Amino acid sequence: MHFDPVANLQLLVSGLAFGSIYALVALGFVLIYNAVGVVNFAQGEFVMFPSYVAVTFLLPAIAVFGTVVHWQLPVVGVYLLVLVLMVGFGLLFNRIAYHPLRDRGWMPVVISTIGVSIFLRNAAQLIWGSQPIVMPSLFAVDTISVGPLHIRPQDLLIIGVTAVLIAFQFFLFERTTLGKQMRATAQDRATARLVGVRVGRIVAITFVYSALLGTISGLLVAPLFTVTKEMGALIALKAFAASIVGGFGSIPGAIVGGLAIGVIETFGGFYISSAYVDAIAFVILIGVLLLRPQGLFGERVAEKA
Amino acid sequence: MPKTNVLAGAALLVALALVPQFVHSDYLLTVIDTAGIYAIVVMGLGILLGFAGQLSLAQAAFLGIGAYTSGWLTTNLGWPVWPSMAAAMLMSALIGLGVGYPCLRLSGHYLALATIGFGIITQLVLINWKSVTNGSDGMTGIPAPQIGSFVFDSYGRYYYIVLVAVLACAYVAWRIKTTRVGRALEAIRENEIAARATGIDATRYKIIAFVLAGAYAGLAGSLLAHMTKFISPDSYSFDQSVVFLVMLIVGGSSSISGAILGAVLLWFLPEVLRPLKASYIMVYGAAVIAMIVFMPRGLVGLLESLRARFTRRPREAA
Repeated sequence: MHFDPVANLQLLVSGLAFGSIYALVALGFVLIYNAVGVVNFAQGEFVMFPSYVAVTFLLPAIAVFGTVVHWQLPVVGVYLLVLVLMVGFGLLFNRIAYHPLRDRGWMPVVISTIGVSIFLRNAAQLIWGSQPIVMPSLFAVDTISVGPLHIRPQDLLIIGVTAVLIAFQFFLFERTTLGKQMRATAQDRATARLVGVRVGRIVAITFVYSALLGTISGLLVAPLFTVTKEMGALIALKAFAASIVGGFGSIPGAIVGGLAIGVIETFGGFYISSAYVDAIAFVILIGVLLLRPQGLFGERVAEKA
Repeated sequence: MPKTNVLAGAALLVALALVPQFVHSDYLLTVIDTAGIYAIVVMGLGILLGFAGQLSLAQAAFLGIGAYTSGWLTTNLGWPVWPSMAAAMLMSALIGLGVGYPCLRLSGHYLALATIGFGIITQLVLINWKSVTNGSDGMTGIPAPQIGSFVFDSYGRYYYIVLVAVLACAYVAWRIKTTRVGRALEAIRENEIAARATGIDATRYKIIAFVLAGAYAGLAGSLLAHMTKFISPDSYSFDQSVVFLVMLIVGGSSSISGAILGAVLLWFLPEVLRPLKASYIMVYGAAVIAMIVFMPRGLVGLLESLRARFTRRPREAA
């Protein structure tokens, strides 16, 4: 196979776009893990559920509980509505799935997040049916030409929004009191509480923030695929893999791991095997776990981040 | 007290043996047989997680490896069923060894994720290795086991194979729990460093746990294949592994009866909820959350505390 720079650049852009999605969801994992010490197995549903809510108000007609409704709203309004809704969702999730179990170790919380995941996936099926739904894109064209390159504007949007969010997160964690309190809670809850951090509230805010990261990833990725009840599951597993590849608990690790998995997977799917494309992330994961279990950025960074 | 236990055990055994005499619906018998088979998988997971404290989310993959090994040997090589079942167990145990060994350095969430990765890769292989697995169409025509001319071809007859297998697996698990290996595993679960310091070869015992969990799931997979006579890759998903984990935790992770109880109860729960039609799995999810919140030590813990409450009262009065 001869080397085609244009095709490779296109693959790179698309890989970075997928990688950005993994990075955002991985950030959600890491923030919750750092704050409460558990992996949230409903993270994928933080992506899926808001996507369904969004299409309900983006499409001119959609079946809800089997009845066709016409609830179309302006795009900006829909995005705001979904974000506000997911703030409530994050608070509720914290209340139901985490808070009652907070003193019982990590396993019960993992099980209850699994319960939430089962609940939401099937609630989605009940409400919106099992047919995939197409989310309308913000862009009139599928691809734009930049010189010889054909690039999807949606990919560029994903990469751009992710970059802004990462910059925002850096600002939040380094420059604001809230961010510092979140970091303090992640490092040592008992000490954070001693110096006056309201740990319970910070944990709730972390769940909300993580739900919002999932929401934004869902809104960004849905126009590229379709909205289904399974859409979040594989994204979340790969994001989880990405966060371990990067070094679990490490914020830069989650970002780099996510981007790396997205790019390697896209190239692997093109050059090696499209049938096994979903296995690539996990092969990388197992390799990293065996050779460098602390991940690329290790635990040391996690303590600082 | 032990005498009443023996009596209760014998009565339970007789009651269990009589089930197919009273249940005639084929559908209900399938559900019962499957519950027994899942109980075996969950017991295997119980050895790994409950006894040794190692979380695996690949039990469904081992179930699949057992099912496909057995299915392939009987349909492609024409092996009889019983040696195929043994081979399925061995195959899953060996792969358990292969997965367990490199995973020894991992624990907690890391181990969970490595096993998730293994499970997803296994399922992709089952879907894509068409020359052996027949891809997503699945494998058909898997024969039923027989002894002499007696063929276990109805769900009522198959029930007895499952019953014997469940009892045998429970016995083995109980022997493990109450002997040296079980105590070593428990020590590792509570504090691996301390266990090593007292001279326990943690590496060896953890591998034993992985191999046993693999063997249990392999046997269960084979039992499932010869019961349904048809297997396809979508039954061996990550979601299915999650279901097994939930069964174990809800039942009570470190007890054998908890594993069986959890598997049977959660397998029947959707059947009980079926009148709710489309919303039943949703309610199932909510029930899982409620159980984990309100029953900290699982069903077994709940039963124990109920028993304690009822037996304490007379004593207090006396």
